[in-house]
Amino acid sequence: MRPIRDDDAGLYVHVPFCLTRCGYCDFNTYAGLDHLKAPYADALAAEARVAAGEWAGVPFVSVFLGGGTPTTLPAARIGSLLRELRALLHLEPDAEVTSEANPDTVDGTYLTALREAGVTRLSLGLQSFDPVVLRSLERLHTAESAAAAFAAARTAGFDDVNLDLIYGAEGETATSWSETLERTIALGPDHISAYALTVEPATSLGRRVAAGLTPAPDPDVQADRYAAACDALGTAGYEHYEVSNWARLGRRCLHNLGYWRGRPYLGLGAGAHSYRDGQRWWNVRPPQTYLDMVAAGTPPISGRERLDDDERRLERLLLGLRTAEGVPGSSVEAGPADALVGAGVAERRGERFVLTDRGMLLANEAVLALAGS
Amino acid sequence: MDQALVRNFSIVAHIDHGKSTLADRFLELTHAVAARQMREQYLDRMDLERERGITIKAQAVRLRHGEFELNLIDTPGHVDFSYEVSRSLAACEGAILLVDAAQGIEAQTLANYHLARDAGLAIVPTVNKIDLPQAETEETVRELAELVGCDPADVLRVSAKSGEGVAALLDAVIERVPPPSGNLAEPLRALIFDSSYDAYRGVIAYLRVIDGRIGGRQRVRFLSTGFSLEAEEVGAFSPEPTPVDVLEAGDVGYLVTGVKDVRQAKVGDTITLADRPASEPLPGYREPKPMVWSGLYPAEGGDYSLLRDALDRLRLSDAALVYEPESSLALGFGFRCGFLGLLHMEIVKERLEREFDLELIATAPNVEFRVVRAGGEVLEVHNPSEMPAPGTYEAVEEPVVLATVITPSSHLGPVMELCQARRGTLEDMRYLSPERAELHYLLPLAEIIFDFFDQLKSKTRGYASLDYEHWGYQPANMVRVDILLQGEPVDAFSAVVHRDKAYQYGRTMTERLRELIPRQLFEVAIQATIGSRVIARESVRAKRKDVLAKCYGGDITRKRKLLEKQKEGKKRMRRVGRVDVPQEAFIAALRVDQVAGRKAGA
Repeated sequence: MRPIRDDDAGLYVHVPFCLTRCGYCDFNTYAGLDHLKAPYADALAAEARVAAGEWAGVPFVSVFLGGGTPTTLPAARIGSLLRELRALLHLEPDAEVTSEANPDTVDGTYLTALREAGVTRLSLGLQSFDPVVLRSLERLHTAESAAAAFAAARTAGFDDVNLDLIYGAEGETATSWSETLERTIALGPDHISAYALTVEPATSLGRRVAAGLTPAPDPDVQADRYAAACDALGTAGYEHYEVSNWARLGRRCLHNLGYWRGRPYLGLGAGAHSYRDGQRWWNVRPPQTYLDMVAAGTPPISGRERLDDDERRLERLLLGLRTAEGVPGSSVEAGPADALVGAGVAERRGERFVLTDRGMLLANEAVLALAGS
Repeated sequence: MDQALVRNFSIVAHIDHGKSTLADRFLELTHAVAARQMREQYLDRMDLERERGITIKAQAVRLRHGEFELNLIDTPGHVDFSYEVSRSLAACEGAILLVDAAQGIEAQTLANYHLARDAGLAIVPTVNKIDLPQAETEETVRELAELVGCDPADVLRVSAKSGEGVAALLDAVIERVPPPSGNLAEPLRALIFDSSYDAYRGVIAYLRVIDGRIGGRQRVRFLSTGFSLEAEEVGAFSPEPTPVDVLEAGDVGYLVTGVKDVRQAKVGDTITLADRPASEPLPGYREPKPMVWSGLYPAEGGDYSLLRDALDRLRLSDAALVYEPESSLALGFGFRCGFLGLLHMEIVKERLEREFDLELIATAPNVEFRVVRAGGEVLEVHNPSEMPAPGTYEAVEEPVVLATVITPSSHLGPVMELCQARRGTLEDMRYLSPERAELHYLLPLAEIIFDFFDQLKSKTRGYASLDYEHWGYQPANMVRVDILLQGEPVDAFSAVVHRDKAYQYGRTMTERLRELIPRQLFEVAIQATIGSRVIARESVRAKRKDVLAKCYGGDITRKRKLLEKQKEGKKRMRRVGRVDVPQEAFIAALRVDQVAGRKAGA
């Protein structure tokens, strides 16, 4: 791929369907709306048709099918959708095209079809190898089926596979987390995302925690797990390039880097966000409303904001500091920056001001210290 | 009005013994208030008084009963206002001593009785609430008769609630309280027993004319200040203020001064006529003396000037309130305020917050210490941070009160233990009856301004009562305890405490702050020190995780807003050295009951 420029865009496509809702997930996704899948896929293309004019000439270097579970759509429909999108928008020929997948929704046949449909990168929600943790996360798949899905992805020709992990769930132990890390590394994925379990209020986990039925994750325990991940993945040769992301050389996720670098993106689908030239807007969340608005020829936009200078600066800090490249050293005030360096939270690396491994877990504090008052 | 037909009296009682209800019945019985305008606690005007069921300001009301004119002066009922009570009593010739038939004599009953007796008043002993199922009327009558030294048959029995016996009580007041005996021919001498402030008319002085007479538009002089002015109006309370042509010896009423500061019409001062002044003031005048001090700070630093204006306004109607600007490293700019006592402090704080819409942080209250320097110079310390370093002075003296505690004999042990733990000295003890004992302790004021009363109540299942009067100063082994965050003293948490209690104070504050200070990027050391010696230490572990796990396209707006909110929260924090301390931590750490550093059993 050619070098990426600041005005290269990413294309996000939201597929809001899941087999079941996981207890911790507060994304815009729904179980039991299978009957909307076909019209929804059509609406995505229709929305792209409306947006095409505004985005004419903007080169898209990545596509990300997220959800929800994109692989609840037939592989063939994904293929035709990608073709429609290529016809409407300027997608680079060698664009990174990622699809998220739930281990339960894919098999060898499906994955082969998905690869042939033009998907180049697969992100599998593995979460854990510990059956206790999988149960407490309400994941339907087993450790074995996740490993099998990974093997099938390789067989289908995916040479760029991410595995998602979650740490800090109820029932997890230091040992079981180390085992999950070891077994994940043993599979040899190209990219690993490891997320601290976050309790969102509007989820069944959030309600259980609020009611005292489930303990809230202990931030110190999560910090230990994070440190273990940094150690194990670093030793295994993965580069820690964002708070929750590790990659083999050359396998960073181009699409997600676009968010962190402040590049433009177009989001299609229910609840999807878009950003360009300091303006961000987002679609209506309920799939039926989305369908109705697209059918009526109305842009399915729910809200928008124009970032002022302070907001842009705050976003540059909060996004930039999440990554291994940090922010330009010249963009931060010496006083608070030095204090962060003194506290072991950040360091100056050449012209850049970056967070340390320990500091990445304290990114909020660092951003607030640097954002001033 | 012929003085022979005038009776000036007040009702003195322990809190909740039915004083305000009895006043309501008098108003009804004498048709002073139309039935449709009647409301409970009629004489308590302030919202605060009505909510708390207490009287803060004195009120007067003129009642007509047959051919008699009765002036009822309703007095505050709290030890903080004992000077005001004494002035109200000085305006009367008699007092109804009211006691709850179920509770019996309480500490305030005694304190008020002694005040009334010392003022030479005729006492009308009365037992109230005789209709309560748990009333022990005869026992209470016996106690009361013994206290005032009368025949039990002379003790009146009433139910202020039902009205039973109230008419007979009024008759007894007329019969037993002597009429005023002022000299109409003498130069005017009128006692100011309270005052109020009206935004339009200025200070209104509440008067009892002792000698002479005064009409509107006469030029009057205040004997303690020498200040003189022309009276804009004189009037009587019937019960609403109503102008009259003249007030003369024996009368109770008011004078509209038009001046804008209550300090020019001080409670206890004597008013006379400018062109024919009295040579001698009435006895008993005293300057108000603050006993308890606390720093008041606006929760929002920008509200400092609002607070200053609010205090300036409040002092117009509260002559006892004193304040001076001070600044705190931790709390910013505020005022060190002096109060008559804890209730007065609470009232002032609540009025500032309520009437001026301010949010305030109050530092832990402290008493005034006298630091005696080598060479005998005496320094008055109102703020713990002004306490000189150990070794730079000869002695420290602290204020002491003479406390009266009445307790069921069955709880005598715990009460005495409590008083001893608070460095009390037993002065005297006697039994009111086999079941109830009266104790007199000398106690350091500093020991009772925190949770002494609560402790006393909890150790006696609510049965004990407390009153006290200021006694003087005594030498005390006091030390200043400082609380440090990362080596930086937090001035708002400094306290002057007895050496024996210093460790406990240090422990309590450091433990409390450990819970209240949020984790920071570094470990925060919390220390309590005396001089350079650390007496207690705690720490808040460094924060390890504060980041959103995921941040992709749709999350960026949300994430930014979360951070903006977090940033707003940080702005509300106070920075002590490198440590961010949330406002709530100051408020919680300074809460009176918790700062006291005494757990149950102490």
